[in-house]
Amino acid sequence: MRQSSPSHRFVAAIIAIVTVAAVGCGKTPPASFRLNMVQATKATVPESGLEKPWASWSRERQQQVATILEAMFGTPDEPVALPETGLDLAKLQLAAGPVRSDIVGRKNGLYREHCAHCHGISGDGMGPTAAFLNPYPRDYRQGKFKFKSTWRDAKPTHDDLVRLLHEGVIGTSMPSFALLPPAQVDALAEYVKYLSMRGEAEIALFTYAEQELGADEALPTTKEFLVDEVLTPIAEKWQGAADARIPVAAIPAGVDFNLPGNDLANRDSVARGKALFLGDGGCVKCHGVTALGDGQANDYDDWNKAIVAVSAEVAVGLLSSKEAATGGMSSDALADHRARSAWLDSFAHVLEGDALRPRTIPPRNLRIGHYRGGRRPIDLYRRLYTGINGAPMPGVGPSGPGGKGSVADEEIWHLVNYIRSLPYEMDGELGADRPMVAKDRF
Amino acid sequence: MTPPTTAVTPAVDHGHAAPHAHGHAQGGLSHFLSTYVFSKDHKVIGLQFLFSTLLWFLVGGLLALAVRWQVAWPWSDVPVLGKLFAQEGGQMSPEFYTMLFTMHASVMIFLVIIPILAGAFGNFLIPLMIGADDMAFPTLNMLSYWFMWPAFICFGASFFVEGGAASGGWTSYPTLSTNPASSPASSMGQTLWLLGLTFVGVSSMLGSVNYMTTIILMRAPGMTMFRLPMTIWGMFITAILQAFALPVLTAAGFMQLSDRMLGTGFFSPEGNVINNAIAGAGGGQPLLWQHLFWFYSHPAVYIMILPAMGMVSDILTVFARKPLFGYRPMVYSIAGIAGLGFIVWGHHMFMSGMNPALGITFMVSTMMIALPSAVKTFNWLGTLWGGRIQFTTAMLFALSFVSMFIIGGLSGIFMAATPVDIFIHDTYFIVAHFHYVLFAGTAMGVFAGIYFWFPKMFGRTMNEFWGKVHFFLTFIFLNGTFFTMHILGAVGFPRRLADAYHYETFHHLQPMNAFMTWCAIGMVATQVIFAANFIYSMFWGPRAGRNPWNANTLEWIAPSPPGHGNFDFQPVVHRGPYEYSVPGVEKDHLMQTDPPNQAAAAAAAAAH
Amino acid sequence: MFKRIGGIFWALLFLAVPVLGVATFAISPFYDHWLPKDVSTHGAAIDSLFYFILVLTGVVFVVTEFLLFWFMWKYDRNNQEGHATYIQGSHTLEVVWTIIPAATLVFLAIYQMNAWADVKMRRPSMAPTVEVIARQFEWRLRYPGRDGTLGTADDLFVVNDLHLPVDEDVLIQLKSMDVLHSFFLPNLRIKQDAVPGMKIPVWFKAREVGQFDIVCAELCGWGHYKMKGRVTFESRPEFESWLERKYAEQQATQPPAEADVAAE
Repeated sequence: MRQSSPSHRFVAAIIAIVTVAAVGCGKTPPASFRLNMVQATKATVPESGLEKPWASWSRERQQQVATILEAMFGTPDEPVALPETGLDLAKLQLAAGPVRSDIVGRKNGLYREHCAHCHGISGDGMGPTAAFLNPYPRDYRQGKFKFKSTWRDAKPTHDDLVRLLHEGVIGTSMPSFALLPPAQVDALAEYVKYLSMRGEAEIALFTYAEQELGADEALPTTKEFLVDEVLTPIAEKWQGAADARIPVAAIPAGVDFNLPGNDLANRDSVARGKALFLGDGGCVKCHGVTALGDGQANDYDDWNKAIVAVSAEVAVGLLSSKEAATGGMSSDALADHRARSAWLDSFAHVLEGDALRPRTIPPRNLRIGHYRGGRRPIDLYRRLYTGINGAPMPGVGPSGPGGKGSVADEEIWHLVNYIRSLPYEMDGELGADRPMVAKDRF
Repeated sequence: MTPPTTAVTPAVDHGHAAPHAHGHAQGGLSHFLSTYVFSKDHKVIGLQFLFSTLLWFLVGGLLALAVRWQVAWPWSDVPVLGKLFAQEGGQMSPEFYTMLFTMHASVMIFLVIIPILAGAFGNFLIPLMIGADDMAFPTLNMLSYWFMWPAFICFGASFFVEGGAASGGWTSYPTLSTNPASSPASSMGQTLWLLGLTFVGVSSMLGSVNYMTTIILMRAPGMTMFRLPMTIWGMFITAILQAFALPVLTAAGFMQLSDRMLGTGFFSPEGNVINNAIAGAGGGQPLLWQHLFWFYSHPAVYIMILPAMGMVSDILTVFARKPLFGYRPMVYSIAGIAGLGFIVWGHHMFMSGMNPALGITFMVSTMMIALPSAVKTFNWLGTLWGGRIQFTTAMLFALSFVSMFIIGGLSGIFMAATPVDIFIHDTYFIVAHFHYVLFAGTAMGVFAGIYFWFPKMFGRTMNEFWGKVHFFLTFIFLNGTFFTMHILGAVGFPRRLADAYHYETFHHLQPMNAFMTWCAIGMVATQVIFAANFIYSMFWGPRAGRNPWNANTLEWIAPSPPGHGNFDFQPVVHRGPYEYSVPGVEKDHLMQTDPPNQAAAAAAAAAH
Repeated sequence: MFKRIGGIFWALLFLAVPVLGVATFAISPFYDHWLPKDVSTHGAAIDSLFYFILVLTGVVFVVTEFLLFWFMWKYDRNNQEGHATYIQGSHTLEVVWTIIPAATLVFLAIYQMNAWADVKMRRPSMAPTVEVIARQFEWRLRYPGRDGTLGTADDLFVVNDLHLPVDEDVLIQLKSMDVLHSFFLPNLRIKQDAVPGMKIPVWFKAREVGQFDIVCAELCGWGHYKMKGRVTFESRPEFESWLERKYAEQQATQPPAEADVAAE
């Protein structure tokens, strides 16, 4: 039984409008790398005699860098691997691109499926989830990695990265990917190196622009410059990582890691290690006499330190810029002052929106038994030998091949033994270091 | 004997027009505000609830579409919402997904289903159906609506705070929801959620006190309790449920707020380790929250269906032209469901780590609660038997309530079976069950109620053709969306996963999920037809008379729409609510106010 | 006549519910959309209960939905003459359809108690084989190590890769580090929430070797979907040798690729 047609027309019209609105919304543009805005803004300090407004000049500079990076490294959907990098393009393609986890045997998208929401599409440690994690996810762009088998300032080897993906990092939000097929883990490790190289190249380009170029000069785009001067030093450090492994001393007598740390056979070694901990090792300053991590705790790791330093500079600059007496300035000086104020304002915004709020790094509580870099004796040896790159933790071994550390190489094993015994030490001398009974702890 | 005229003929309404034609000409703004905004008239308040909840229904439905998109095509470019994640090419983040399903459920349960049943229909219908001129406490009634607004603002604002809206599930279990370090939204979003919940609770409490008092004390002369229509019984028992269950949820909500903001440890055990974060106070039990929460939330699910059951019972009788089969058993069943509803909450917690012996006790009580629901279903079927069914839109929705409730109720038996629940708990089997009872059940009952009482509310009828199109498409799409969820549950497909295909064992289920998402999109799109029909008919629909459906209950005596005071004269009730096809009477129905010797008089007249 | 078609149409639409409903359940197993393979000793009881309830509810479903269809078809206003049957109810019917469902439900409840008690109440008295500690977002496993006691310095720590002996009773001590999780083994019909602050025993016995999923079945945050674990059942000798291998790796004092000690 039909009603009058106005109602039909009305309903039909509404249906049509809603359909058009829904369909006309359009697809989201493909993912894109984000510039390292802290570096970008830092590097575009206005010079005197800048002819165009600072904002458009700095945008041009950023555009140059972005174009170069796209040519050298491609996009998140389509990576490029120049032969000098030594990266395997097939692995990169497996990791890159948008993901469809419902398609069995699919060809790409691993990074975006597993990593991007924390580590960010650009590997900047600023994915959507990152701000809510403590500690923050790693920012690959500085090329610094904490848990590896090489000298402090060297890069991690491929195996180091694979191992990290396998084990995860206990005590952080980084999970274990041990159940992924080895080919996928391999591809992800390769992609991390790719993002790291890209980030380091970006920093190198901005640094070059800041230090070597005049205001009117564009970044050179010649192969000699980009490949030989910028890319090759970075790639060589990565390719040389395997050769930069630290030497591992022989295990001294009186140390048997196959026995529990509190076994009587290891007692002397543990006592020696304790003496080192309290003495030459220099550990108590941060980890505390109790080893609970209650020493000094107001230091930053390198990633946060950079932000803190820049924030302080910018704050000081903003203050002095506001207080400057602009009345008596010449027109040139006024133009410079305006450019500088614009730069400082922009920097403040970048620190608000493009950088995570800095956090201090707490020294590890050694009595819980959570070792982020791995719990094997060799892992602890490596952390002690070189310290932790990027963190304030110094090494007790030599700082480079042929050097001399504060603790002899062999003696480090005693320290390792002591640390491994800490979670199970039932008779700590000081009240505060009585741990929970180990079987109730995690 | 000529067949009775029972066709729907919209007559011109000569009765009292809507409240706004009262004839007051003074104080423009303040008059407008007190008539339409801060009105104490139960009908206006009912419509305010109706409009607000329908708008939130849209919000909840869109949230569900986003959830379905991710389940079907994880990490793909999401339409519209993808712009929020433009950096990642439109793929949503996993915490965004947990927020989506949390808020979908929270909005649907607390801002749509509970207020639409009690607030919209309860408010509008109770005085009309019992023959009263308004609620017992009109000001309290107005407050119960306006207390929803802080809840709307809390829930709405929570989407925009740092960390996003609550994302610990609508069940909000500690320690995920109490420890700010465990989830992004466990900072501001969860607090706003708890505050919003408190406001909804206050609103419900005010309403339930009002309804109980009104129904007990303000019935028209002759309206005994067992002459009340089932709608009123549903509303009455629901109000009692609300009053007894709600304080427990409010208390639990305060305890959680206190844990989060004041550092207490009701729900935080000792020794929690979340990365670098400081552990909570300690000394508490996460299970305590579950007990308190489900002590309310199980009766809440009956709060979310009993009024609809009542409305459906009434609508079925009107369009079958037959009395309700087994009126008293139906009343006792509703009371039984409500009573038993207080002792089954543990069936949500079979796997929770509570003492396993409780698994036995709660299993028995949960099995028993299936009984009154079964009795009601059989009585509905009995109501249809021997009837003269008119397939109006309202009737179709009411019939679909029965059909879909059978599915939802039967699937509940699987979960009540504790050993089987070991496997299907937290899988899509559970999701299927509650969507069948809540959407395919209650929401269909709500649509039935809207189509049925629309003429009384607005003085015009909705378009029957578009109504049937709306019904047909909704019916098809909802079954397409939710029926196969039973199958997914049988496979063990878990709930609340941002990406289930992370597991190879679930890879082959993606086509089924894609099919379900297309059906869901169709279902939400179909509601555009309903919205257009509703809006059009409100203003330009054909005018309705007082009793377009030839029903017998009291509200159909009043004008369409009723003015202040509802009735032209004080109704006096002589009959029960289902006097259809009374033998010996030529008309196929008698009003509740028709004098008791009507049948005899009519028979006498016919015999001449 | 035109109106009768309308009634027929709606009745048939409602008939589609039981028809398609039963068809969906009947066809799904043939497309691998059904209960996963069960390799536990108690799973058969659970699965047979599932099937029993399926048949019972299936019959009720078909009968009631068919009646609904039938009444819609037959009692269409355009298919009948005169007034409806004025009947308020039937005492007999009420008694019948209260007693029969009540008896069925009570029977069902009692019938299942044993299966529940087996899985959740009758704990075998043995030392835990492994401690499973759920954490955002992984499964940390702790084996007792050579001294057979959990919580000592020789415990073996593994992540996500649970190995257990087949054909033996296994007792797991389930804990959580941070928030609620749930230890779900679909192929063993095992599920137990991991509650922070509680130590909950979970026991079962596997009948077959193989690798199966561990799924987290309680919302634990944004990474709830990431908590994929794997349980491997193997013979006792293979299990022991796996333990030895993992233990040796855990005690490694040299990088695996380089057996020689590098000279200083």
